[in-house]
Amino acid sequence: MKIVINRTACAGHARCHALAAEMFVLDDDGYIATDSFSVPPGSEQLARRAARACPERALEVLEADSGHERENNG
Amino acid sequence: MTDDAVRDLMMSPGDVLAGLPDHVPSELACEFDIWAEISAAGIGAHQRAAQFHQQLPPIFYVPRLGYLPGAWVPQKAEDLRRILQDTDTFSSQNTMPFAQMLGEHWRLIPLEMDPPEHTKYRALINTLLSPKKVAAIDDSISQHASNLINALVANKRCNFNQAFADQFPTLIFLRLMGWPESEAPRFVKWTHTLVKSQDMQEVVGAVVQIKSYLQQKIEQSRINPVDDFTGYLLASEIDGRPLTDDELLGFCFLVFIGGLDTVASSLGFHFMHLALHPEQQADLRANPDKIPLAVEELLRAYSIVNMRRIVTRDVEVGGVRMKAGDVVLISTELGNLDPDAFARPAEVDFEREDITKPHMAFSYGPHRCVGSHLARRELRIALQLWLEKVPMFRLADDCQPIMRASGVFGMDNLVFEWE
Repeated sequence: MKIVINRTACAGHARCHALAAEMFVLDDDGYIATDSFSVPPGSEQLARRAARACPERALEVLEADSGHERENNG
Repeated sequence: MTDDAVRDLMMSPGDVLAGLPDHVPSELACEFDIWAEISAAGIGAHQRAAQFHQQLPPIFYVPRLGYLPGAWVPQKAEDLRRILQDTDTFSSQNTMPFAQMLGEHWRLIPLEMDPPEHTKYRALINTLLSPKKVAAIDDSISQHASNLINALVANKRCNFNQAFADQFPTLIFLRLMGWPESEAPRFVKWTHTLVKSQDMQEVVGAVVQIKSYLQQKIEQSRINPVDDFTGYLLASEIDGRPLTDDELLGFCFLVFIGGLDTVASSLGFHFMHLALHPEQQADLRANPDKIPLAVEELLRAYSIVNMRRIVTRDVEVGGVRMKAGDVVLISTELGNLDPDAFARPAEVDFEREDITKPHMAFSYGPHRCVGSHLARRELRIALQLWLEKVPMFRLADDCQPIMRASGVFGMDNLVFEWE
């Protein structure tokens, strides 16, 4: 599973970080620090929950195995 | 303002229709003063606001708001999200009345700016209020809360606003600014008048005094550079130049407005709710690990902040045609009470299935409350320490809380008792 981030939409709410600080790393200003990352095996459910918690809907979940199947977190 | 004066503000339907701009269909006009209506509901204020979703169109028009002119009021969370994320069409410029009241032109920074200009100014204060910076002062936040609670717990009764809610965020703010704690009483007085008063003359008086105080602090810091907030701003640059005097004032005025009354008002509603719902208070006492998400639920159900946007071009939102120059009210409380966004929205439920679902208490878009990380910590720590130190508390029988709906909603005169 992969998380893809629309960084221009990130407004620094840091709700993803509040739920999963190790996966959703912030920069010094408190905004998301990466464009995308792979979710460690076993953390998929937490990653989905953290992505859904984004008030700006800036986090997209790409489910594993199929790059075409996308789950928008809206 | 007295209740009678609030009622006087309410207009008859005839007055409302006479004051409508030509492009506003009469069926979208709200026939009563929404803030007076919410204020009159007292401790049921947010339940009354939740009824607007059944009673009024998804986007309605109010011919005036307190001393402010008429505005569109979108109630749906989705419409509010779209508006707040589209800063080209819905501008934040000239949305706060304070400088205009004095016939001046400084702006609250970065609140009254739009991207891309906003981005540069916002970056200056993001660094100061990031989750990491705020986490570093946890001990100090806890210490201030503990001191205040220790001083009142033996009395078995307190005026919660005066003894705790007004003091706590003010003391943290003064520490962050590097200013003496002895300033707290006049800061509390100024900030109350600024955001709660519906008397324009009173507000003007407060603006003059706050402005003069802040300018004096900036001047002192310029002469004797110190490592505090004004010192940081004086050392900062935008586009390779130092900040102008108006920009320095605009920044300081903004943190003054944002940092003081908002947390104080939220504390009032959150603690009032727990005083009125002993079963939920007992639940959090028994399960303190629930407190962080309980604070989110309380922030959602008791949102307090209202902002405005100015429409820059003719646009259609939710089937409503808005014209360039129209004012849009951003009511975080109405957005968070939208039944399409939250099931049973007027109900506070610490077990709700969608408790991690995003709410808009801190707004959406680039103007997301810059102090949100600090506010959340203050609210959480206050609740943790109160429940640790103070026994089950309730609203005193002789207590008459006073609800004030304006730019920042607040519940005053909350008297609590405990054994």
